[in-house]
Amino acid sequence: MFYIDRRLLENVDWLLLATAGGALSLGALTLANLTVSRAAGGLVLRQLLWIGIGAVALVIVASFDYRTLVRAAPVFYLLGILGLVAVFAIGRSVSGARRWIPVGPFTVQPAELFKLAFVLMIVWVLTSRWAQPVGKAALGLAAAVFAVPFVLIVKQPDLGTALVLLPVLALLLVGAGIRLRLLGGLGLAGLSVMPLVWFVLKDYQRERFLVYLDPYRDPLGTAYNVIQAKIAIGSGQLLGKGIAGATQSRLAFLPERHTDFIFAVFAETWGFVGCLLLIVCYAILVTRGFEIAATAREPLGRLVAIGATALLATQTLVNLGMVTGLLPIVGIPLPMMSYGGSSMMVSMMALGLLLSVRMRQFA
Amino acid sequence: MAVRRGPVAGRRDPGKQRILGMTIGMLAAFVLLVGQLWYLQVLEGARLQELSDKNRIRVRPAAAPRGVLFDRNGLPLVDNRPAFTLSLIPREIDNREKVLGRLSVLLKMPYLELDDALGRVSSDSLMPVRVRRGLTLVEVARVEEWKLELPGVIVEVEPQRLYPTSRFAAHLLGYVREANDEQLKQGRYRRGDMVGQSGLERLLDQYLRGSDGGERIEVDAMGRPIRVIQHTEPNPGAQVVTTVDRRIQEAAERAMEGHAGAVVVMDPRDGDVLAMVSTPAFALDQFTGTIGRAAWVQLVRDPSHPMLNRTVQSQYAPGSVFKIVVAAAGLQETTLTPVDRVYCNGQFHLGNWTFNDWKEGGHGTVDLHRAIVQSCNVYFYQAGLKIGIDTIARYAKAFGLGAPTGIDLPGEKVGLIPGLHRGKRWSYSGDTVNLSIGQGALLVTPMQVARMMSAVANGGVLFKPRLVQRVERADGQLLYSDPGLVNGHLALSPMVWAFLKQSLLDVVNEGTGAEARIPGIDIAGKTGTAQMIANSRAERGQDHAWFASFAPVQDPQYVVVVLVERGGKGGHIAAPIARQIYNAIFLEKVASAGVSG
Repeated sequence: MFYIDRRLLENVDWLLLATAGGALSLGALTLANLTVSRAAGGLVLRQLLWIGIGAVALVIVASFDYRTLVRAAPVFYLLGILGLVAVFAIGRSVSGARRWIPVGPFTVQPAELFKLAFVLMIVWVLTSRWAQPVGKAALGLAAAVFAVPFVLIVKQPDLGTALVLLPVLALLLVGAGIRLRLLGGLGLAGLSVMPLVWFVLKDYQRERFLVYLDPYRDPLGTAYNVIQAKIAIGSGQLLGKGIAGATQSRLAFLPERHTDFIFAVFAETWGFVGCLLLIVCYAILVTRGFEIAATAREPLGRLVAIGATALLATQTLVNLGMVTGLLPIVGIPLPMMSYGGSSMMVSMMALGLLLSVRMRQFA
Repeated sequence: MAVRRGPVAGRRDPGKQRILGMTIGMLAAFVLLVGQLWYLQVLEGARLQELSDKNRIRVRPAAAPRGVLFDRNGLPLVDNRPAFTLSLIPREIDNREKVLGRLSVLLKMPYLELDDALGRVSSDSLMPVRVRRGLTLVEVARVEEWKLELPGVIVEVEPQRLYPTSRFAAHLLGYVREANDEQLKQGRYRRGDMVGQSGLERLLDQYLRGSDGGERIEVDAMGRPIRVIQHTEPNPGAQVVTTVDRRIQEAAERAMEGHAGAVVVMDPRDGDVLAMVSTPAFALDQFTGTIGRAAWVQLVRDPSHPMLNRTVQSQYAPGSVFKIVVAAAGLQETTLTPVDRVYCNGQFHLGNWTFNDWKEGGHGTVDLHRAIVQSCNVYFYQAGLKIGIDTIARYAKAFGLGAPTGIDLPGEKVGLIPGLHRGKRWSYSGDTVNLSIGQGALLVTPMQVARMMSAVANGGVLFKPRLVQRVERADGQLLYSDPGLVNGHLALSPMVWAFLKQSLLDVVNEGTGAEARIPGIDIAGKTGTAQMIANSRAERGQDHAWFASFAPVQDPQYVVVVLVERGGKGGHIAAPIARQIYNAIFLEKVASAGVSG
């Protein structure tokens, strides 16, 4: 299984790796800027360490045949659910949310890692014989597979991560050939119950939504992030303020600047031109991911590629949309740039899945 | 685990189209993002850049202390003390309604007043708008407590005027008040600036005000200072050395307590104003805070006119003090001689008119010396007619009456000499008669009288009254100096001067000014009782009381002029006040010299 044949190596997708590498290095550079004046330069080192570990994970995942991985999906899925349950038992609480469990010297965010298991599990379900042809039965199965972790993650609470699962599921269903009418009807039904969701939301979640509609509702409270991020991004202007000039970020006006809001730091430092470069990187990566799906040898590979791409693309777009003020604030890291081990591992392994499909499309 | 994988969809593989659709959808989302970034960074970039500067830069102003005024001996006439001032920095205020609303509740200030103050400056301004002065410690604590909720609101420590007593030398020093609309229009001041509005504070405002300094500090998100971007030391106002003698000023104010009127003490050798008192005075310190509109209106409408500087802004008939001018004119023109005698029976008839002497029954036979000493009106009625209105007017002008003294205070009144400024030919002898005892249309200011007495004391030199010796910066650099100015000269024969001096000395020693007498000190003076209305009686307190004097006669160093409005007889009311002042000048000086020596 660990045998990698020459032909596989010849089919490594260098473009995919190059764009990912671009985002990774820009992310590390931005983190370095942030910490350059502080003693805690350890942050960059840790991130580099995670990139290293992530790279190893990428290679390992890529070397596996994705079919094998999908076959093992129920195991991953169950382990993932176990992790999500464990969060409630032994989880560490950070600012009101139990999302992390300690593993040795690190803390792991099960919800992050679960995303991959989720993708594989959905692919497993959709390609199983019970789901053929992909219709209402498949939808019901997928919904069940989706519902359990969704509730668990929402309870942490981590609405953002939970919500990311939704478009991933939708894209996988579309990719599996579900009738668009069916999905569309479901979507409309979902929209019609949205007002009810309001009553289920926690206060701070409601507030975030209101702030999204009116950022100046509470400029020093919830809206602070939104406003400061906009100021940081906008003040970068066309060419950016450069490393030393990024006062918004350096002077800590910007909260969560290492993690969810790292794009704002990047935008302040490098300006519109830098942002354009970064976004082109991500866009190429996503396009390439879908291209891998389109050229996959068989439906299973296609679905795995769609799932991995959807995961990366959704997180990227939601994060960028939130930081630039297009979407409400939901705590989602930017793949390959935000500081954080779990998120890094997931991004790298998703890339690994893509590579795995790519390398075997000709085999 | 055995998983059977079935075919995806039975239909013609639509998978690629669907993937193409997903790709296009995702790319569209990226394009939307780029659009948002273009909007934020390029279209809105400049504005957000400004917000980012505002985020990190805080301004902490440091107000410059106003220059200190000193008396001629280096004693301070006015000083500064630190006081709390509430200021708004428009640029740091993010939510105007909220901040002002909260502030107005906290300090019980009218919201509209705050809104108005802020409305007059650019909302981008980094300069503090001072909205309220003289905060109490309780108010300061209240503002500091709510600091986080009040961005852009600061409490500045601003030096404020400190006066020895609230009314000390009020008219001389002048008050300092926030720039009014008219001054703002001239563009030299900003709203909330403290500007000298009267007296020396106004005259020397440009030197006294100095320039504010301050700091621009870069702060982090918690408002903690990170580094100072710019630091400007406040440049304190220049200090002023005046001609005033604080000790004499204080003595004169003490002596005038309870009276309305004016005192001028002048050095006849150079025209230095040693004291300038106008009563009733206003409280200087009521302007240092933010004076309420009602208080201001009350002050301006006060029937006793405390804002008026009576030494230069009020005009009075000089009464018998004017006899000095008539005597000088008569002697110099040889119309009068010291040996001419007149019998005074207390009345003087001219046509159908009867002019009374102040003393019923008259003074008997008097010569010029006695007429001055006793202040005999009948003598001067006749003398005046003999000399003639034109000559008297000419001499009055030569003594500096009817013309500005040139003192550096705003709003000086000119006075009036009837013979010079008449519209038609002077035809009524009765007016000449009235003029010869200083009544009628004749008007003078106490400062003019002091200048005239200085001329008598120094032999005819008219000085421009000097208030300021020099203005210098704290480092000693001289900014302005007034070397003194002679702006008139009166040539009389030495015999005439000698006669006048002797007569005036005798006024105090044995005449109407006896109540000014201090044994051992030769004081020369002339009393005056100026009628305000026809046939008023001094006893009823309807007349202005004058006493114009100088001392010591042999070497005149001090001219003291006292005017008490509606005081009564000059000899009884004004002369004792002058005596008190001389007492302070000579006796206390000797005493202090004795102690220090």
